[in-house]
Amino acid sequence: MMAVLELHQVKKSYGSGHTKVDALKETNFLADRGELIAIIGPSGSGKSTFLTIVGGLLSPTSGDVIINRQNLTDLNEKTRSQIRLKEIGFVLQASNLVPFLTVANQLKLLDKVKKGNISKSERNQLNEDLGIADLLMKYPSDLSGGQRQRVAIAKALYSNPSIILADEPTASLDSDRAYEVMELLQKVTKQKKTTTIVVTHDIRLVDFCDKVYKMTDGVLLALEKQDEKEINHIPQ
Amino acid sequence: MFLAWQEIKKNKLRFTLITGILMLVSFLVFFLSGLATGLADLNREAVDKWEASAIILTEESDKSLYQSFMSTDQLKDVEAEKTAVLGQLNAIATNGDNKKNISLFGINKEEFLLPNVTEGKAFEKANEVVADDSLKDEGFDLGDTLSLSSSDQQLTIVGFTEQARFNAAPVLYASLETFHLVKFGEVADQKKDQINGIVVQDDSISNLTQNEELKAIEIESFIESLPGYTEQKLTLNFMIYFLFGISSIIVAFFLYVLTVQKISMFGVMKAQGISSSYLSRSVVAQTFILSFIGTVIGFALTLISGAFLPAAIPVSFDLTSMMLYGIILIIVAMVGAVFSVLTIVRIDPLKAIGG
Repeated sequence: MMAVLELHQVKKSYGSGHTKVDALKETNFLADRGELIAIIGPSGSGKSTFLTIVGGLLSPTSGDVIINRQNLTDLNEKTRSQIRLKEIGFVLQASNLVPFLTVANQLKLLDKVKKGNISKSERNQLNEDLGIADLLMKYPSDLSGGQRQRVAIAKALYSNPSIILADEPTASLDSDRAYEVMELLQKVTKQKKTTTIVVTHDIRLVDFCDKVYKMTDGVLLALEKQDEKEINHIPQ
Repeated sequence: MFLAWQEIKKNKLRFTLITGILMLVSFLVFFLSGLATGLADLNREAVDKWEASAIILTEESDKSLYQSFMSTDQLKDVEAEKTAVLGQLNAIATNGDNKKNISLFGINKEEFLLPNVTEGKAFEKANEVVADDSLKDEGFDLGDTLSLSSSDQQLTIVGFTEQARFNAAPVLYASLETFHLVKFGEVADQKKDQINGIVVQDDSISNLTQNEELKAIEIESFIESLPGYTEQKLTLNFMIYFLFGISSIIVAFFLYVLTVQKISMFGVMKAQGISSSYLSRSVVAQTFILSFIGTVIGFALTLISGAFLPAAIPVSFDLTSMMLYGIILIIVAMVGAVFSVLTIVRIDPLKAIGG
């Protein structure tokens, strides 16, 4: 099976000479459809650098990032922006909702910029699946943190992206809401066969994931989920 | 447009304030344009009624009708399709109760300078005049006998005509004979060929006269040479242009502040793949909506307030000019949105999502 996401010897460095810092050391990574992957690690370890390179927001110093056979590193910003719109859904730490749009209009906006490639029945099904059908007329300020993240996931899933990138999606939530969000991500990953990468330093979430990677000083290391010693060693 | 309108709907107070300021600016622009037109009309109404292409004055008069002295004999030196002789003097007229600066036009009744009489009749005998009807607002009426400063002659108003002011003074139209009587008194007979200018209706204004003592002046140039006319027009136009600048700066300032407040949101949207051009178009659309609403309300408010202004305020609303100014206001407001568009283009989505 062809991987949805491939990273080949991807490296990101800042500065030069004595001041050179390798934020991401030479990294190889593969992700398939339907996989929920956790990238754990302390702050400043390079998790966000990894996520932004995968999301096409940051160009690597060297190496190739391939999404559905398209090499992002060969493309200009405009084309990468189109790929982000079509192939990638973002769920961010701070709610990525537009404050002056109702939930329904948040999705309608995506409908407009993505030129309506989702049917009404699919949209209704998505709203039902994510439990936001009753929230459609509400503004983000009227929603709880968990509800906001559910809407954010709905936005990320809109138009069926291949990859969902979630950056600390549970950071502002209590444990119950955090587990609820992770269950939701797990459910949609399996149902819609997306590839979901969750960057987090919350080790409680790894139980929901199929694969766990640990990032330390720019080095990405695959872990066994049973390797509690390694996982628990992450500073919070 | 979708994003722009939704934001306006959600933040009504904020956008009402911006629209309110734009409305006040547009009101001021429209009102000043009305004042500029009204003041211009005060100077040129009577000249516009001639529907003339040029006026022949003496070379040494420096385009001043009042300083131009010529003889009706010089009419033979003018070659044009239609000509009309004109004598002109300024005086203060009183009917016993009211006084007013007037401009007396001495004309030949059979020539084209005779205006349409809207009330009463045209002058027939000596010392009869047709007056500009703005004099009615000053307490003058049909049948009034007028005494003039610097003349023993008494004139009778036998008719009124509309919109006939010259250099801010209402015009009294009289025969050349009456004009000579008022101007020269007892020696009128000896001066009966004296006039101030010859008004010309012709398709071309070149080669109207070969007489070196005379000069053909295009009507627009003649109007612009009226005392104070150009200075007044330039001052008011300068104020209007200045307001265009202010309008653009206000919009630029407000939108820039609003855009800066939304940098993080725009960054996230860009990270999600929504293009800078979509977001920029949204800001420009928002500017269009706000400036359009502000301008339309300002337009309506100007017309409404204009209807209640006292007649003494020389305001005249030219709808074509107002619409042109309205369009310019909307365009300059949209130019003001350029700073916000540049800000949006420069937003780094990476920073917005904390990368």
